[in-house]
Amino acid sequence: MLLRRLRAKGDQIAVLVVLFAIWAALSWRLGVYWVSSPWAAGARFVDGVLDGTLIQHGFYTLAEAVVGFILGAAPATLLPFLIRRRPMLVAIIDPFMVGGYGAPKLALAPLFILWFGIGMESKIVLVAVTVFFIVYFSTLAGVAALNPKLVRMAQVMGANERAVLRHIVFPGAVPYIFTGFRVALPYSIGAAVIAELLSANRGLGFLIQRSAMGYDTTGIFVALVATVCIVFVCNRCLGAAEAYLLRWRPPADTSLPVSAAT
Amino acid sequence: MTMQPPLLEVRGLAKRFATRVGEEAPRWVIRDLDFSVAEGEFLTIVGPSGSGKTTLLNMIAQVDTATEGSLLFRAQPAPVTNPKALNPGLSCQIGYVTQEDNLLPWRTALDNVLFPLMVQGRLNAESRARAAMLMEAVGLKGFESHYPHELSGGMCKRVSLIRTLVYDPPVILMDEPFGALDAQTRVQLQTDLLRLWNLGRKTIVFVTHDIAEAIALADRTLVLCRAPAKIIGNHIIDIPRPRDVDGLLANPRFVALYQAIRSQVQ
Amino acid sequence: MTVLDAPADAGFPGRAALRRHGVLIGRLALAALLVAGWHVLAGAIGPLYVAAPLAVVERIAADLGSGELIRHSYVTLRLSAIGFAIGCAAGVVLPFVLRRMPRLTAAIEPYILASVGIPKYALMPLFILWAGIDDAPKLLLVGVLVFYVVFIAVFAGIRSVDRKLVTMARVLGASEMAISRHVVWKSLTPFFLAALKIALPRAVSATIIGEFLVGNAGLGYYIENARQMVDIAGVFAGIVVSIIIVLAINALLTLLDRRVNAWRPVDRDMRL
Repeated sequence: MLLRRLRAKGDQIAVLVVLFAIWAALSWRLGVYWVSSPWAAGARFVDGVLDGTLIQHGFYTLAEAVVGFILGAAPATLLPFLIRRRPMLVAIIDPFMVGGYGAPKLALAPLFILWFGIGMESKIVLVAVTVFFIVYFSTLAGVAALNPKLVRMAQVMGANERAVLRHIVFPGAVPYIFTGFRVALPYSIGAAVIAELLSANRGLGFLIQRSAMGYDTTGIFVALVATVCIVFVCNRCLGAAEAYLLRWRPPADTSLPVSAAT
Repeated sequence: MTMQPPLLEVRGLAKRFATRVGEEAPRWVIRDLDFSVAEGEFLTIVGPSGSGKTTLLNMIAQVDTATEGSLLFRAQPAPVTNPKALNPGLSCQIGYVTQEDNLLPWRTALDNVLFPLMVQGRLNAESRARAAMLMEAVGLKGFESHYPHELSGGMCKRVSLIRTLVYDPPVILMDEPFGALDAQTRVQLQTDLLRLWNLGRKTIVFVTHDIAEAIALADRTLVLCRAPAKIIGNHIIDIPRPRDVDGLLANPRFVALYQAIRSQVQ
Repeated sequence: MTVLDAPADAGFPGRAALRRHGVLIGRLALAALLVAGWHVLAGAIGPLYVAAPLAVVERIAADLGSGELIRHSYVTLRLSAIGFAIGCAAGVVLPFVLRRMPRLTAAIEPYILASVGIPKYALMPLFILWAGIDDAPKLLLVGVLVFYVVFIAVFAGIRSVDRKLVTMARVLGASEMAISRHVVWKSLTPFFLAALKIALPRAVSATIIGEFLVGNAGLGYYIENARQMVDIAGVFAGIVVSIIIVLAINALLTLLDRRVNAWRPVDRDMRL
């Protein structure tokens, strides 16, 4: 068993080496215009970090994503708790929510840029709108998954409506809320970057676009890698928060998430 | 026998469910149910499966409405037939240990026990000490910080039990609490329950389908018939306490009672 | 969706019908309210920021009549369809190929998972650099997006195929090809169809966004062009038409899904 795991790890490292080799070969063969060399990209990346530009732009994008996420997720998390006792209201707004969820929010990017300018605000609003619908549905599912027997139990013990909400409904919905967060996170960073691609003067998307304008493939690679780093770090943070807050959950199996594709 | 009014009294209780498609008349699950419980009495109710035992307890605990009848607690009527006026637990006067544990999975064992105290605003050093004492009494010392998914079925059941005991309601309803456990654990828990009950002599209404369990625990046993259910038997268990739950099978009085009740349950 | 304790003994059956009508009226009222609010907003903020609903409707009608909107919509849909087909094909074939090579699959799996974290739209400038400014980069974008959705669903579906069925088929002498076709493919059809439901609307969205960045035709171009000319009515018109198209595709697929799977027991799972 251990041998098999070691062999699998060895395979993975081998694949990494092969990928690097392919990258280097492609760069050498096709030329730096098409594929920047790993060394050049690496050097540029380090430079960008050391002189702070990459960090600045990265922070800008991250700030857009985080503020937008909070702006969108807060009402989306609150709403299902407020309307949970009115199934008619939930049913009435359902088609609008489904429509909002299905509609391409990114298509609104030009509109927001028109309204809020090329600064952070337009990106923040776009992220908020994108995140809202995702988090609404997952929170709604969490509220709906409430076990009525637990509510009864709490009522028999003297809990009023507020106590039930705080101690029964909310903790039970937290796993679902986190699932929504995990799905919405890559979307929020992606939306910020796309909006920056369209029109911005700072941020990683702006870096990518500027490098593209200057036919600077290395610049694009470096900004892309920075974006991936941010996504990775955010995912890790979210995962750690989830692991701590949900430590009461019985261990489940971790398999490839079907709907994680961005 | 004291001449105090009964703590809990049920008169003419009846429950029927809404007509289902294809049914002529709605079915009465419970009809003309009368009984009373004196203070400090351990009452068990035996009945075959499906005889509406859980429904009965739900109505007493005010978790469900009754179609007809009245419920008196300390001679005060409780609004059983009015769905809008339901008061679950009758303001913490009636505790209810359900069949499923219904523990909150996101709270540790101790936090689950402290839950009713917190909700009622009675959390202080004294009540915390009481909770700790109860946990130790059922052998859960050292498991305070465990989450329900880390506990065995029997342990969860114990937590569920002392969670109701900790806030000391005058009446405690129990719905086949030990049904899902293996025979060994069941006997252990029955012994624990009797021991704890002995400390405070609370009033308990314990529902079960297991006749032996009903006799072993009770001061008095009622027999419920099939739907439409009503009380068809009232047996005083005059086996002296403290009782050895394990060794009761050999007791001739037990055997006689068992046979009497068994014939009625058929 | 009942999210609370069941209502006490529902007396008469008419109550359910009343509920349904109430919901319908509520929805219509809400829709009317939203449009009215839109109208008021347009009046208050002015035509420089918000186009009034009537103005948008007129604009859409005009551009439909002149054929311009139809042309752009066709371009977008055509591109989406081609990109969708490419991504779909790759997303279906690759997992089946990988199925025969478990060691390779285990070796590359972490990298596939990691690559999911790259926002694909961010790759668009790279695609433009590589593939030019015509349809090619947009096809690449749509293809990649669709590929990921389909690949992950089919991959997970293959994984979840009951091993016992496969073993049994082998014992009965079926070739690998036959097993792939009859056992594996049949089992993963629901996963695949669910992925298609997600992927197709996303393909259209991706095409539109690609058209924001490059090209001179398509709904995305229409919207972005209007924006650069500060033609608010145009921007609104383009967005409204885009949303209608994507929602229509969604609705159609849902209908199809229900028809095809009418015999299945209803399974309410999370919409994610």
